Amino acid sequence: MATDVKSAALLLDLAKCTACRGCQAACKQWNDLPAEETVNWGSYQNPADLSYNTYTLIHFDEHEHEDGTLAWLFLNQRCLHCTEAACVDVCPTGALSYNEMGFVSYEEAKCNGCGYCSQFCPFGIPRLNQVSTVTGEAKSSKCTFCQDRTTNGLSPACAQACPTGAIVFGEREEMVAVGKQRVEELKSRGRSEARLYGETELGGLHQMYVLDAKASVYGLPESPKYPAGATLRNVLKPLGNVAIGAALVGSVAAFFITRRNIKMEEVE
Amino acid sequence: MEIRWIPKYTALERTLHWVHTICFLPLALTGYILFAPWLQALAQGEAGELVRIVHRVTAIFFGLVPIIYTILQPRRMVMNLKEFLTWGKDDWEWLKAALPYYAAGKHEAMPPQPRFNSGERLNAVVMVLGTLLFGITGLSMWFLKGIMPAGLYQIMVFIHDLTFLVTFIMFIVHFYLAVVHPLMWQSLISMRFGYVSKSYAREHHAKWYYGEERAKQMWEEQKAKGGH
Repeated sequence: MATDVKSAALLLDLAKCTACRGCQAACKQWNDLPAEETVNWGSYQNPADLSYNTYTLIHFDEHEHEDGTLAWLFLNQRCLHCTEAACVDVCPTGALSYNEMGFVSYEEAKCNGCGYCSQFCPFGIPRLNQVSTVTGEAKSSKCTFCQDRTTNGLSPACAQACPTGAIVFGEREEMVAVGKQRVEELKSRGRSEARLYGETELGGLHQMYVLDAKASVYGLPESPKYPAGATLRNVLKPLGNVAIGAALVGSVAAFFITRRNIKMEEVE
Repeated sequence: MEIRWIPKYTALERTLHWVHTICFLPLALTGYILFAPWLQALAQGEAGELVRIVHRVTAIFFGLVPIIYTILQPRRMVMNLKEFLTWGKDDWEWLKAALPYYAAGKHEAMPPQPRFNSGERLNAVVMVLGTLLFGITGLSMWFLKGIMPAGLYQIMVFIHDLTFLVTFIMFIVHFYLAVVHPLMWQSLISMRFGYVSKSYAREHHAKWYYGEERAKQMWEEQKAKGGH
């Protein structure tokens, strides 16, 4: 089985999204996540933000296109499953890891709540349920790519629920091709800012967006970068372990050399 | 011949030194668990939460050490700090001569030293600076996660890691020289009882024993004679 596993991806075609939020509901249902008590804060965006119990969320943004037409933009915010994922590299527990299908898998039982993933993610996605700041008791969470479904031949709950075809699940190569084609279509209709987001970013995302406006309009980084802090740690970790080992071995060696060279009987 | 003993540390200094030590070790080990892939199992789930509690509780006592010292013996603290930060040309020569001395017992090339030799001062400076950095970065990581910008938080994590590495390697060297090395048993005795012998002070801390000028003079005479 393992050898013929194809790299999988979700294509989130934001131009097709009607913000019905069926994906949000399906995600909660499949992952057994409780609803949150919220208040009306002047937007249909509900809950207002991702949380420990909300893995995916439709953002509502009002935007004026270049040609002066108004648009109501919907961003399906969630973990984008980077191929070069800083969260996986900084996670000290292995709770976050790469699945052979290419997505970033999450195993909650292993998480100790350190929160590094939430601080190193270039998209600011993982959320902590901080029980106590003093003890640091917490658990992290994020979209798991419906790992229990996708590794068993099913599509993710959100893709299954989406009525407009705005969420499509398939082989990554195919999703890239579909996405590019959609961008051409949008451009031919005058959407000059349309773009496929995630084809090459961070080694290639496993959730890609077809954007109908500039990435920054959606609140996404125009060109997301692997965080410098994580790069430094990646260098420091192996280097540090070697240095500590060398210091220990060096001390033991020095002890024997010293013992041979110094005759204690001759020392005053 | 009767041995004369010369006081080097106060009782508080010795106590705090050992409190610092028994805090530093569990802090280093619990922190290292997040740093070493081969100890990953200890970082997971509830084990990881226990590791964090131990790290945080110990960190409080670790942080109290310099605060208590500053409150109870501020003059000694300032005096020691000044000595730690006094570096000169002799120190470079001392560090160059240190390897042949510690490995083979060749003491001739060691320039005279004040109450703390260059190595002791290096260790002290690294630890003082390290404690400050651990405090700033550690408290930020503890209380300001999600409050300070993520980019800054990442820098805090990196500096905390780097400080651990530098201080831990310094600790290994310090432990080796103070506890393991056969010639240095008096330094361990002094950190236990507070005193060093007259002969040890003369040989290892001549600037302290004879005074700066006299020690320099003797050092020049000895060099002119070519050895002991």
